[in-house]
Amino acid sequence: MSAALELRSLRKSFGKTEIIRGVDLGIGKGERHAIIGPNGAGKSTLFNLITGRYPVTSGEVHMHGENVTGMAPYQINRKGLSRSFQITNIFPRMTVFENIRCALLWPRGYRYSFWQLLHRETDLNDAADRILDQLNLTARRDLPAGVLSYAEQRALEIGITIGGGADVILLDEPTAGMSNTETDYIVNLIREVTVGKTLIMVEHDMGVVFDLADKISVLVYGEIIASGVPEDVRGDTKVQEAYLGAALEAEH
Amino acid sequence: MTDATVSRASRGLSLGASAPWIFAIVLVFVLPFLFTDRSAMTILNQIAITIVFALSYNMLLGQGGMLSFGHAVYMGLGGFFVMHMMNRIENLEWFIPLPLLPLFGGLFGMAFAALFGSFSVRRAGTAFAMISLGIGELVAASSIIIVAFFGGEEGISGDRTMGPNVFGVEWFTPGEVYWVIAGWMLLSAFLMYLFSRTPAGRMANAVRDNPERAQFLGYNGARVRYISFCAAGFFAGVAGGLFAINYEILGEENLNLVTSGTILLVAFLGGAGFFFGPIVGAIVFTLLQTVLSLHTHLWQLYAGVLFVATVMFFPFGIAGLMAMHIAPWKLGKFGLLVVPYIKTIVPGVLGILGLASFIEILHHARHAPIGEESMTLFWIEFSHFNPVPWAISAGLVVGGFWLASRSAAEMKQAYEAASTLESGQ
Repeated sequence: MSAALELRSLRKSFGKTEIIRGVDLGIGKGERHAIIGPNGAGKSTLFNLITGRYPVTSGEVHMHGENVTGMAPYQINRKGLSRSFQITNIFPRMTVFENIRCALLWPRGYRYSFWQLLHRETDLNDAADRILDQLNLTARRDLPAGVLSYAEQRALEIGITIGGGADVILLDEPTAGMSNTETDYIVNLIREVTVGKTLIMVEHDMGVVFDLADKISVLVYGEIIASGVPEDVRGDTKVQEAYLGAALEAEH
Repeated sequence: MTDATVSRASRGLSLGASAPWIFAIVLVFVLPFLFTDRSAMTILNQIAITIVFALSYNMLLGQGGMLSFGHAVYMGLGGFFVMHMMNRIENLEWFIPLPLLPLFGGLFGMAFAALFGSFSVRRAGTAFAMISLGIGELVAASSIIIVAFFGGEEGISGDRTMGPNVFGVEWFTPGEVYWVIAGWMLLSAFLMYLFSRTPAGRMANAVRDNPERAQFLGYNGARVRYISFCAAGFFAGVAGGLFAINYEILGEENLNLVTSGTILLVAFLGGAGFFFGPIVGAIVFTLLQTVLSLHTHLWQLYAGVLFVATVMFFPFGIAGLMAMHIAPWKLGKFGLLVVPYIKTIVPGVLGILGLASFIEILHHARHAPIGEESMTLFWIEFSHFNPVPWAISAGLVVGGFWLASRSAAEMKQAYEAASTLESGQ
């Protein structure tokens, strides 16, 4: 069985600085994989390489066995990969409902149509409303997304990411900047909406990581120093030296 | 509002959504019976053409986030094409009834939008603005060079009355042409409105708001902009065709930067963020241009001041100003606003009129032919050497603005009170 996502000796340099220094990683179908590592380790850069936001310097990204290296983000997205952003990345002047509906258009085959009227597409609108309901945002449906609270915008961001039904989902720090209650809400939401999907997330909150992830990879200075089930990674001495120990101490 | 009514309202063109259209149709039919004289009909025609052009422009600016300085190109090209068609029809080479001509203007405008758009929409923002400026200058300059199509410096002219007499109308008077123009205006406006509700139209908003996010939803931002650009080119071409029919003459000024800049002004003045904003802008601006220019040489000064004031104080335009009052109206607190508004707006208007009078008297004193010292302002005739009108207008400026600024804070407070739902209510 081919992996949902496979990175082969991926490298990325900005000028002379090499940020990603040869990453090999296979992520199986249906796996919930967390990527952790200290600040500046290149976690977000890795996401940007996978999703086509940055061109890779060398190496390959394969999705479901297909080489997607060098494709534009919209092409990769059409193959069933969707991502969220560390900094909230929504459509601020459009309503919450329309934010979600935009995410549904391409996967449902509307493409660039200018002959269909969206308000008549009952299935589409119902699906968008169901997602809003799942996100607990029904009460905000017709507000411009830009006026929502931070946590609500993060929830909307996740809704936009999963709305299209992509089967590989990348979440970049979904709980960044959230209170405990908000974090619980988002974690439950992620758990609920990613059932049966491949999830790859960058996360700083170790509670969230050990709560959600089946497997963890530790990225330090552009290299993966350990990858495996949470117990093994937690016990790995290299990881404890480089990162986890300090992070776990800081947690307590 | 409950959730149930919200979702029902968005499912179809409900009564609330179709009411403005019904109102517009009724207005289009009633207006020619209210304003029967020739000059009023000319103004109505001009307004209708400007509405189509401004709405088309706003498909770029407001809906798609593309600031164009060259939209006159597509209107002009559509107009020139229709003019050539009218001349062919006059020479009995072609047989096409006049009311169909704007369609061909639209297709011609769209063809050039498809051409120029293919490289100019790759990026929005400054790159797009600069390229649009370049194309605008290029086409305006070539209009003087390519004489066969553009007619050189004189431009080209035609005669709309020589075509096949299909509907038993000869299109002699502005009143007759009105029905062609108004019909196309309604049709174009409605089609542009529908476009905004299609996947391509909605994604244009999404790409405007956040092009990167749209990419990660499967949409190529350049393609989305291209579709909007071609559609805008079509309706600009329709507006050009209507212009050709209405004025029967076109020249370089229909392609140049002045015309492109004016439509930006119109869309912004009306409110680019709202679908109906450019309609309001087209009406207000055309009235300024036609009615005010009858009364003063300085109308462009006033239009300029109005534009600057809009950008500074009401960045969402006249439509935004109107939309600000939906909340007080729905909350039933509109009444709270009446007195504070009167207290500020009446002295404010008096101050503005005083300032305008002062400028007019000054202008007359400086620029009237020597010996002609008598002038008329607000139906009063006086000599510009008479100190009393100077003093009255200066007094109005000082007094009016003083009173207005004194009650401005109160007006703001009243607005805030009227637009928020107090707790306990």
